[in-house]
Amino acid sequence: MATRALLAAVSACPRRRIGIKSSTFSSSLQFQRQESRIIARSFSSYTNSSLSLPDISRLAETARISLTPAEIEECEPKIRQVIDWFGQLQQVDVNCVEPAIRAEMEGGNLREDAPQTFENRDSIRASIPSFDETYLKVPKVLNKE
Amino acid sequence: MLSTLQPPRSLTLLPFRRLHGSKTIASLASSSPTLDASSVSPPQSQILTTRRSLLSGETTASEIAKSYLSRIRLTEPQLKCFLHVSENVLKEAQEIDQRISRGEEVGPLAGVVIGVKDNICTEGMPSTAASRILEHYRPPFDATAVKKIKEMGGIVVGKTNMDEFGMGSTTEASAFQVTANPWDLTRVPGGSSGGTAAAVAAKQCMVSLGSDTGGSVRQPASFCGVVGLKPTYGRVSRFGLMAYASSLDVIGCFGSTVADAGMLLHAVSGYDRFDSTSSKQDVPDFESQFLSMDSFESKPLKGVRVGLIRETLEEGVDSGVRSATQEAASHLEALGCLVTEVSLPSFSLGLPAYYVIASSESSSNLSRYDGVRYGNQVMADELNKLYDCSRGQGFGGEVKMRILMGTYALSAGYYDAYYKRAQQVRTLIRKDFKAALDHNDILISPAAPSAAYKIGEKKDDPLAMYAGDIMTVNVNLAGLPAIVLPCGLVEGGPSGLPVGLQMIGAAFDEETLLKVGHIFEQTLNGSGFVPPTLPNVA
Repeated sequence: MATRALLAAVSACPRRRIGIKSSTFSSSLQFQRQESRIIARSFSSYTNSSLSLPDISRLAETARISLTPAEIEECEPKIRQVIDWFGQLQQVDVNCVEPAIRAEMEGGNLREDAPQTFENRDSIRASIPSFDETYLKVPKVLNKE
Repeated sequence: MLSTLQPPRSLTLLPFRRLHGSKTIASLASSSPTLDASSVSPPQSQILTTRRSLLSGETTASEIAKSYLSRIRLTEPQLKCFLHVSENVLKEAQEIDQRISRGEEVGPLAGVVIGVKDNICTEGMPSTAASRILEHYRPPFDATAVKKIKEMGGIVVGKTNMDEFGMGSTTEASAFQVTANPWDLTRVPGGSSGGTAAAVAAKQCMVSLGSDTGGSVRQPASFCGVVGLKPTYGRVSRFGLMAYASSLDVIGCFGSTVADAGMLLHAVSGYDRFDSTSSKQDVPDFESQFLSMDSFESKPLKGVRVGLIRETLEEGVDSGVRSATQEAASHLEALGCLVTEVSLPSFSLGLPAYYVIASSESSSNLSRYDGVRYGNQVMADELNKLYDCSRGQGFGGEVKMRILMGTYALSAGYYDAYYKRAQQVRTLIRKDFKAALDHNDILISPAAPSAAYKIGEKKDDPLAMYAGDIMTVNVNLAGLPAIVLPCGLVEGGPSGLPVGLQMIGAAFDEETLLKVGHIFEQTLNGSGFVPPTLPNVA
């Protein structure tokens, strides 16, 4: 990933002393150019995915989030750009690599399948927007078909 | 050559007392007497200083609490670190004073003023995760970490600002306010625990609890010039931490010194039956790492093997950050460490893998915010519309984007291509780290590719913002512990901007990180990392 010049500088140094000097400090503009290179490297290393582009309206419906047309217009290019960037993972050789759900964990941390009454139920009830005796009130469900 | 802003770094070990560490709490209030710094022989730690001065009667918890509250009042209009300041601070401080005067035992954190990130539940105090959907929400329980702090006598002074639900790297995505960096009020404090880091930097609290999913403790620690400690996944219970990405989230600690961050970590660590991912590993006595500098040998870190991650010093990293990291590596060598370069070939894959996993898991975790059982509800004539509108109006733009990306990555037909693949990449990353840590005691890198940037600079460009997480996300994917401590200044702001060195350890080896970090910090020559922009800074 590094430029040849940088690699040459590193290999020329004695193993222990990483003596790369710099004589200037970045302005924010210089940093913008630099950080766009981090992303550019990522962009250049993947090809177009064969998966179809996200349909934002459909996704919003699945996620139960209402978006105004202005919001869709604003976020659609950003989401597509990020999903496109995710596509570089397609290039990685993951043959015979087990997916890791999380960091290594000990097992056997399950509890008894027995309900316990929470002592501060009043506080839970106080947070419920619409409450009627033992029920949470919500509007009716309309069957959409 | 180094910036003229950086004081010449001597590689010999001088008994140098860091400016902010050598002052005591009492000197924050102008009317209180200042203790003679030379009488302080234990390591510089606000927690230990508070403990000692309360038990000896030099000061009271009420005096300490008052000085912090008045400091908050003075600095909040400029900084906006807090979303909520507790109304019970003085009452809790008085209770501690009464217990001490009655000769009763008080806990090891008695009188310590602590900030808590607003995605960590605090009973009866608003906990909003900086989101409108939880505006005014008061949890019915304390997070386990908060419960432990309170049992030990700590005083939660308030809830700190953050990016909404932890999604962001600048704290600009808070629904309520933007926090300013105490080093330069036109710059971001980092994120998502920006308010949490800035509050410690500005001495509005002594230590604070944050959360770290992809760097949200470590990057703001670097931007604000404080210590940020991310424990091993499972070290601290996540019960009461509002979940963003359950396989990556941890609760982390901020302090102005390594000793304080370590002691806070010790207080909140341990197995919790309410968190099935919490570890039963023994919690070592982190406090015993923090020896006074007088007892250091001439090469106190002799034989410690340090691996400098090659990929973190490449193109794209600010030259000032690179040179500060090189300097830090030299300093570690002078302390006796064996510093070599290591390579993590999967390093650059971490960023897209992280964002796939985080957005996927967050799309699931945030489905509980539907306006029915808690939070803001937007009434509608039909249930699905109630969900749509409550969520559409309650969530901010970045949160909505990530939920949609996660929904996409998890949908039928795409799950294998995105989420499963990212999990496989996670395995590769874990393997690389394990291999590197088999031959090294710790790994080091910058905490971020740059120092703090201007407010508004990255707001409209998600990929530019994500790029800043390159140094930190791999550590969350591997579940390892890491600490960030300030190691130098770069140009920018009224008097320079801090940059942090990140040290990464093997799983559950916070002890080594704290030992190395403490010795590094105590022997670092310089004027201390105290923001110059605030009035009455001790």
